[in-house]
Amino acid sequence: MFENYQKDHFFDEMFVSGDHDVFDFYQPLRERFDRLSEAELSEKRRRVDHGFLEQGVTFTVYGDEQGTERIFPFDLIPRVIPDAEWRLVEQGLTQRIIALNLFLHDVYHEGRIIKDGIIPEDVVKTAAHYRPEMLGVQVPRDIYIHICGSDLIRDGEGRYLVLEDNGRCPSGVSYLLENREAMKRAFPGLYRKCGVRPVDQYPELLLKTLQHLSPRTGQTPVCVLLTPGVYNSAYFEHTFLARKMGIEIVEGRDLIATDGYVYMRTTKGLVQVDVIYRRLDDDFLDPAVFRPDSMLGVPGIMEAYLRGNVALANAVGTGVADDKVTYAYVPDMIRYYLAQDPILDNVPTYLAWKADDQKYILENLERLVVKAANESGGYGMLMGPSSTAAERAEFADRIRHTPRNYIAQPVVPLSRHPTICDDMAIEGRHVDLRPFILYGEDVEIIPGGLTRVALKKGSLVVNSSQGGGSKDTWVLYR
Amino acid sequence: MRLRVHHRTDYHYTTPVTDSVNELRLYPASGRWQSCESAFITVLPAVRLRRYEDLNCNVVHHFELARPHQRLTIESRITVTTREKVDFEKLPYGFHHRDLPRCQRLEECFPFLQDSHYVTRTPDIWRQALDIQGGSTDVFQTSYAIMEHIFGGYTYRSGATTVGTHASEVIERRTGVCQDFAHAMVALCRAIGIPARYVSGYFFDATRDHRLRGSEASHAWVEIYIDGSGWIGLDPTNNKVVDATYIVIATGRDYRDVAPVIGTYYGTGRSSLSVTVQVQRLAE
Repeated sequence: MFENYQKDHFFDEMFVSGDHDVFDFYQPLRERFDRLSEAELSEKRRRVDHGFLEQGVTFTVYGDEQGTERIFPFDLIPRVIPDAEWRLVEQGLTQRIIALNLFLHDVYHEGRIIKDGIIPEDVVKTAAHYRPEMLGVQVPRDIYIHICGSDLIRDGEGRYLVLEDNGRCPSGVSYLLENREAMKRAFPGLYRKCGVRPVDQYPELLLKTLQHLSPRTGQTPVCVLLTPGVYNSAYFEHTFLARKMGIEIVEGRDLIATDGYVYMRTTKGLVQVDVIYRRLDDDFLDPAVFRPDSMLGVPGIMEAYLRGNVALANAVGTGVADDKVTYAYVPDMIRYYLAQDPILDNVPTYLAWKADDQKYILENLERLVVKAANESGGYGMLMGPSSTAAERAEFADRIRHTPRNYIAQPVVPLSRHPTICDDMAIEGRHVDLRPFILYGEDVEIIPGGLTRVALKKGSLVVNSSQGGGSKDTWVLYR
Repeated sequence: MRLRVHHRTDYHYTTPVTDSVNELRLYPASGRWQSCESAFITVLPAVRLRRYEDLNCNVVHHFELARPHQRLTIESRITVTTREKVDFEKLPYGFHHRDLPRCQRLEECFPFLQDSHYVTRTPDIWRQALDIQGGSTDVFQTSYAIMEHIFGGYTYRSGATTVGTHASEVIERRTGVCQDFAHAMVALCRAIGIPARYVSGYFFDATRDHRLRGSEASHAWVEIYIDGSGWIGLDPTNNKVVDATYIVIATGRDYRDVAPVIGTYYGTGRSSLSVTVQVQRLAE
C-alpha cells in the first residue's frame, strides 16, 4: 500500500525519515493496510461513505449554489497518537483553558492584567466580542469557557503548536464520535489490537459539565441545547449531541423568558430551564440586549442570566479570549496567572495594530498568512504564498485601514499524514488536530480530537468549509 | 502510582476585606520517589502569581490582593506519579541510637532536632518518649513504636483542637487530627534525639472500605532521618509506613513551615472557610 509514498520534506505523522520506516506505534496499522488489496480498500471506503450519507452525517457550506448539504469527507487511515505525546498535549490544553478562564474573569472584574501592563487595554476593549454587559457579573461556578475546541498543528520538527482557541461555540465533536463508529465497523480487528482509548464518554461528560452549572440544587437540572435552527452548518451536530445526552433541543421560539426565569414550552406546559447549552453566538442570543434583528434568540434571556437564574454554556463574552489578537497574549497570561511557562507554544504572531509588526507584515505579505481577528472557519484570510498580487493589494489596504482586525503568522509547514486520495493512491496531506476540552468540576479532555485533513494537494487549509476532510484519531493506552 | 488531586479552598468574608497577602504551599515536591506531571495553582479573583522556593526547598506561590473582596478561592490541580519510598521487604532497621549524635552535625538534620513554633521538647515529653522506647536500641523500631503509641493511644476527633494547637497540649490531651498527631510524634522523636520533620500532602485511600483517616482533606505525617536511608515517612494517623499512595507537598519543622495557605488581610468581618480535596487514581 505504501510503496510509492513520498514523505518529502515535511514532518510526517507516520513515517520516520527518508526511507519507509514507520513509528513503532504505527506498525500494526501498517501491517493491516499492507494486507489490503486496492479493491478491498475501495469497498471499505464505499461502505463508510454510504453509512455517513444514510445516517445524515452532513454539514452545510454557505454561499454555494449547488446544494449546501454535504457529507464530511472521511479518510480511512487513522491518525495515531502514543500515550506519552498525548499527555503533553493534555497538560498543555488544561493549562491553557485554566489561564483563559482566569483571564475572562479578570477582564470582566478588576482587569488586573491590564493594569499591570501585560495586555493593552484597547486590545481587550476593542475586541469585537467583548461584552461590557458582563462587567462585574458572577457567572455560575466562575467558569466562562466550559467547552473549548483548540486547534493544534505540528510544525516541521513535530512540535505541537496552538493555532487558535475556539471558546465560543466550537463544533466538530459529532464528527469525531461518528468517525470512531465508522472506523470500528471498517477495521474492528485493528481497532482492538492497537489498544485505542475510547471517546464515547463525551456526551456523558458534557452533560455532567452542564449539570454542574445548574443554579437550582437538589433536583435533576433541566438542560437544553439551543440551536439556531435547521439551516445552521452544524445542525446535525446539535441534534446528535442533544440525542446522545438525552436533553431537549430547542430553538429560540421554544423558550420564553419572564420575570427573570427561562421556561421551555412543552406539551405539558412551561418547564423551568436551568442550563442552556447554546450553539448560538452572543450576538443572536437576546434581541433585547444584542442584535435587535435577531430572530433566533430569546428576548429576556440575558436578564435571567444576569440574575443567576439560568446558566449559559459557554458564558456570554468569551469571544474576547478567542480573538486572534488576544491569542498572541495567551503565553503571557499563563505566566501571569499561573507563574509557569506555557507547555504548548503559540505560532509566532504579528499584530497589525503595532506599528513595527504592521510594517513587517506589509513588507512580507507573500510569505505570511493574514487572518481576520474575529472570523473563523477559514473565512477572511490570505495565504501569502499562493495569493495573487491583487489579493495582496486588497489585504494591504484593509490592514492599513483597520489594523486591529488583522494578524499575520508565518506559514507553518503543517505535518502530513498518509491519506487515500483519488484513484486510491496514498499521498501525504496536511493535518491539524482539534481536541475538545470540557471544564466542569474538573478539566476533562476527550482522548484525541478531530483530525482534519486538507484534501487538496499541497493545501494548508483544513477547514471543512474550504474542502477539508477528517480522520479518526487514535490515542493509545501505551 | 499515578494520582490526581483537586484541592479547593473557599474563603467567604461577611464584609469586604482588603490587602490580602498570601503564601501558598500547594505545589508538589519532586524527587526520586515522586515526579510531578503537571500542577496548576489558581486564585480567584484573578491575580498575578509569583513563584519561589523557600529554605526547605518547598515551592511557594505568592500573591497580593489589595482591592476589597468578599470571596477568595484557591484551587490546585495536580497530577503526580509516585513510587515506593521504602522497600517493605527490607525496612530500614539497623541504625543504632548511639549513632544519633552524628546526625546532629548534619546540616540536613540540625533544624529538625530543635524546638520550633508548635513543638517544644520538655522533660515530660522526654520521659514519655523514653517509656515508649523501652529497651529498643534501633531508631526505626523506636520511631515505629512512637507511631503505634499515638495511633493506639490517641483519639482522632476533629473540632477538639484548632489549627494553632501546640504539640505539648496534644500530648497532654491525647486527642486531635492528623496535624496534631504529626506534631506529637515530631515532639516525641526530637525529645530523644531522632531528627523528625513535619510533612504535608495528600494520600489516596486504596482500602476498599475507605477506613483510613484524613483522605478527604490535606493530610500530615512525619519523616524521620535514618542514616544510610534518608528520610522515612511514618503516618501516626493511620499507623502506616508512607508508601506510594502518599503525595508529598511540603516539608518543614512543623505546620507553620508548610501551611497550605498562610496570609494576612485587613478587615473586621468574620470569615468562613470550606475545603474540598479529591484524590483520584489514574491509569498508569
